[in-house]
Amino acid sequence: MSAAATLPLQIPPTAHKLRSTATGEPAWVRWTLIALALVFLALFLFLPLATVFYEALRKGTGVYLNALREEDALSAIRLTLIAAAISVPANLVFGIAAAWAIAKFEFRGKSILITLIDLPFAVSPVISGLIYVLLFGAQGWFGSWLQAHDLRIIFAVPGIVLATVFVTFPFVARELIPLMQAQGNDEEEAAIVLGASGWQTLWRVTLPNAKWGLLYGVILCNARAMGEFGAVSVVSGHIRGMTNTLPLHVEILYNEYNFAAAFAVASLLALLALITLGLKSLVEWRAGAQADTDLPQERPAS
Amino acid sequence: MSISVHHIAKRFGSFVALDDVSLTFPSGELVALLGPSGCGKTTLLRLIAGLESPDGGSVSFDGDDATRRGVRERQVGFVFQHYALFKHMTVLENIAFGLRVRPRASRPAEAEIRRKVHELLQLVQLDWLAERYPAQLSGGQRQRIALARALAVEPKVLLLDEPFGALDAKVRKELRRWLRRLHDELHITSIFVTHDQEEALEVADRVVLMNRGRVEQVGTPQEVVEEPATPFVADFLDLHDHGPAWLIQAKIRHRGFELRAIDQELQTA
Amino acid sequence: MRNVSLLFLGLVLAASSVQADTTLLNVSYDVTREFYKDYNAAFIRHWKQQSGETLTVNQSHGGSSKQARSVADGLEADVITMNQANDIDILATHGKLIPADWAKRLPNNSAPYTSTIVFLVRRGNPRAIKDWDDLVKPGVSVVIPNPKTSGNGRYSYLAAWGYVTKKGGTEQKAREFVTKLFANVPVFDGGGRAATTTFAQRNIGDALLTFESEVQLIQKEFADSQVEVVYPSQSILAEAPVSIVDKVVDKRGTRKQAQAYLDYLYSDEGQEIAAKHHFRPRSEKVLNRYAASFKPLHLFTVDEVFGGWTRLQKVHFDDGGIYDQILLKQ
Repeated sequence: MSAAATLPLQIPPTAHKLRSTATGEPAWVRWTLIALALVFLALFLFLPLATVFYEALRKGTGVYLNALREEDALSAIRLTLIAAAISVPANLVFGIAAAWAIAKFEFRGKSILITLIDLPFAVSPVISGLIYVLLFGAQGWFGSWLQAHDLRIIFAVPGIVLATVFVTFPFVARELIPLMQAQGNDEEEAAIVLGASGWQTLWRVTLPNAKWGLLYGVILCNARAMGEFGAVSVVSGHIRGMTNTLPLHVEILYNEYNFAAAFAVASLLALLALITLGLKSLVEWRAGAQADTDLPQERPAS
Repeated sequence: MSISVHHIAKRFGSFVALDDVSLTFPSGELVALLGPSGCGKTTLLRLIAGLESPDGGSVSFDGDDATRRGVRERQVGFVFQHYALFKHMTVLENIAFGLRVRPRASRPAEAEIRRKVHELLQLVQLDWLAERYPAQLSGGQRQRIALARALAVEPKVLLLDEPFGALDAKVRKELRRWLRRLHDELHITSIFVTHDQEEALEVADRVVLMNRGRVEQVGTPQEVVEEPATPFVADFLDLHDHGPAWLIQAKIRHRGFELRAIDQELQTA
Repeated sequence: MRNVSLLFLGLVLAASSVQADTTLLNVSYDVTREFYKDYNAAFIRHWKQQSGETLTVNQSHGGSSKQARSVADGLEADVITMNQANDIDILATHGKLIPADWAKRLPNNSAPYTSTIVFLVRRGNPRAIKDWDDLVKPGVSVVIPNPKTSGNGRYSYLAAWGYVTKKGGTEQKAREFVTKLFANVPVFDGGGRAATTTFAQRNIGDALLTFESEVQLIQKEFADSQVEVVYPSQSILAEAPVSIVDKVVDKRGTRKQAQAYLDYLYSDEGQEIAAKHHFRPRSEKVLNRYAASFKPLHLFTVDEVFGGWTRLQKVHFDDGGIYDQILLKQ
């Protein structure tokens, strides 16, 4: 057992050594590159992030907390949570269904489906928002019907949710498709031969195998759902206390010269980003640890 | 259970995988499907399991038409070339899977499941690995667990797709002898796919030689070796007389004597 | 999935049943929030006294043209309060939400309060900027947001142009003057807010052209950046027009309340609140009371210098108009 288990651990150091001699860059080149990368990171990532927190707290924690406790801010937080709470599960279901279909089956129109999944990545979020305005706006396709039935989609919560779902729908599917494709059908076929139904196979085999990818997708999806600006801005209507999400609230506070409050609310989003990054690394680390133990070992273990 | 296929045809796009194949696998025998890669042997196995459906022809189990029967109703045990063990489950859970997914009415009690799993683990001689995960097992161990998992559902027929293909030579030899002994114990109708003629000839009661989607010859190992039906069979089993062999140079020393041979034609008995 | 769709349906219903008691939605531009916060409270009190009805007034703020677009696209605004007439004109031309002569329905071109363009300079006014002529001197750097996308920029352009023609200069002279002014602009920010940041935080420029109503906000937020205000000899009267959105109020049955909401802007109390928030009131009485905050200067209107917004838009700001030609020259 011990010999087989340490085998994969022994490989990386040699591989690493080989690589560094193979590229053969002198030390100063490497250090310059590293320093350059760090300066860039500091300049474009850490500094702005620190500024957000600095500006948010500059006028004291009292101002900071008041900005967050203010009614409009609370309602923006609430709306952001609602939008995420609907779009993330919706995209989870969609992502699993789409990835399952794409990775495990051959069917006509598959490549079109893949392209369509990428659509929200390809178009500007503002355009995504405008699509909904064109569909549901007063001059839109369904505009007069909606008005006749007194239903509001855009400039109301449903529009914000729709726009959020639209911009976030590739995240889960995009994470799962390559993962499921790489895993192939073997385990699913084994499950079916053993008498499992399609549903049992999904729950007991496919999803547990994809859980890290799934989690990763959900984290990214959530981050985007809460942080989305462009698409939501177009369909929001910016009604204070009703249709402003956190990012929109930040923009409006900023435009009103209300700096401290704008940065206070922005710090929530920055915090969300930090948590997302933390979770993301955790998931990557866990998934990586699992992948390591998955290395095939051909030798008898004992 | 005996299995027969009648006039089976299967294409993948323009590639003809099986071309009018008819065969009977008698009850209780261990049969090898032997042939080069792409000859259709794996496709035939998957068709019997129900993992593929034929374009034409039929499959019957004990004389009953099973062509339209779903995979789950066929009650076959299937062992995959790359084991296909469930990575996130322990060995115990892997083997118990087939029992746990049964409808509540026919699902055994937990104690019964555990008893059965341990019985199977003893059968494959890996009882001490129950709590391990597949990643912690060697290839040979994985394949034995895969076999135990397939046997857990008490299949009427056992189908093995290149079961030893991913193992190194030594483990392969051990395992195939073990498989033979296991089959002698269980007497379950078994079909295994291989491209290794040595393996087929050593293990199987009967060998089916396939080439380009067609059956070239069916017979016992002795029959196919002694009377190859087609040039392909003779070629694939490497039965040709390749002409005389020559010894170029040899030197043997033994207790002060030295024997030298140069440029000799070797004679076989 | 079923739960999700139920929740979704719930939201649709919730959104459409929000108006249990009467609400008004006032769609406005960026910096009017504090003003309308106070005004809404006052109006709600007033309306309760007068009619016994409890009102809720919701506010929507954003970039003015975008806000107008949203209303045209179905944002159900009972009233719209902008800082340029052409942002309200859109509602007449696009979707026929209001009649074309909407501006004639209330006094003073339907603009109950106004503002004007003034200069912000560095403390101590080191470049000695006193009037428009000082801005076109070589080497002076002036921050003005893009006139095509912002009210500040547009009114600044118009104020500079009007300054020349009001002094008897010809169109040609005005054009030369504005060309020189815009040659002194180092960057064109998209909006007033961004231009302020450029000037006050990034320390670019010797002068910032901005609305008088925003000066207080800027000084409050950038207390440590040390800027001071300079009033030119004359400037433009930036009228902030308001209108009810007929199609919406008729559908929602809120015409009465919406009309009263706008009328009350002209009342003493409405004018007083506007003045407190640095908008120039129309009422002489109130203006006099706040004379200290509104330094007298000669103000000319868009109508007298440019013959109305429609003509102005066509001549100056449509693609290929005078503004484009001026930029092209640089």
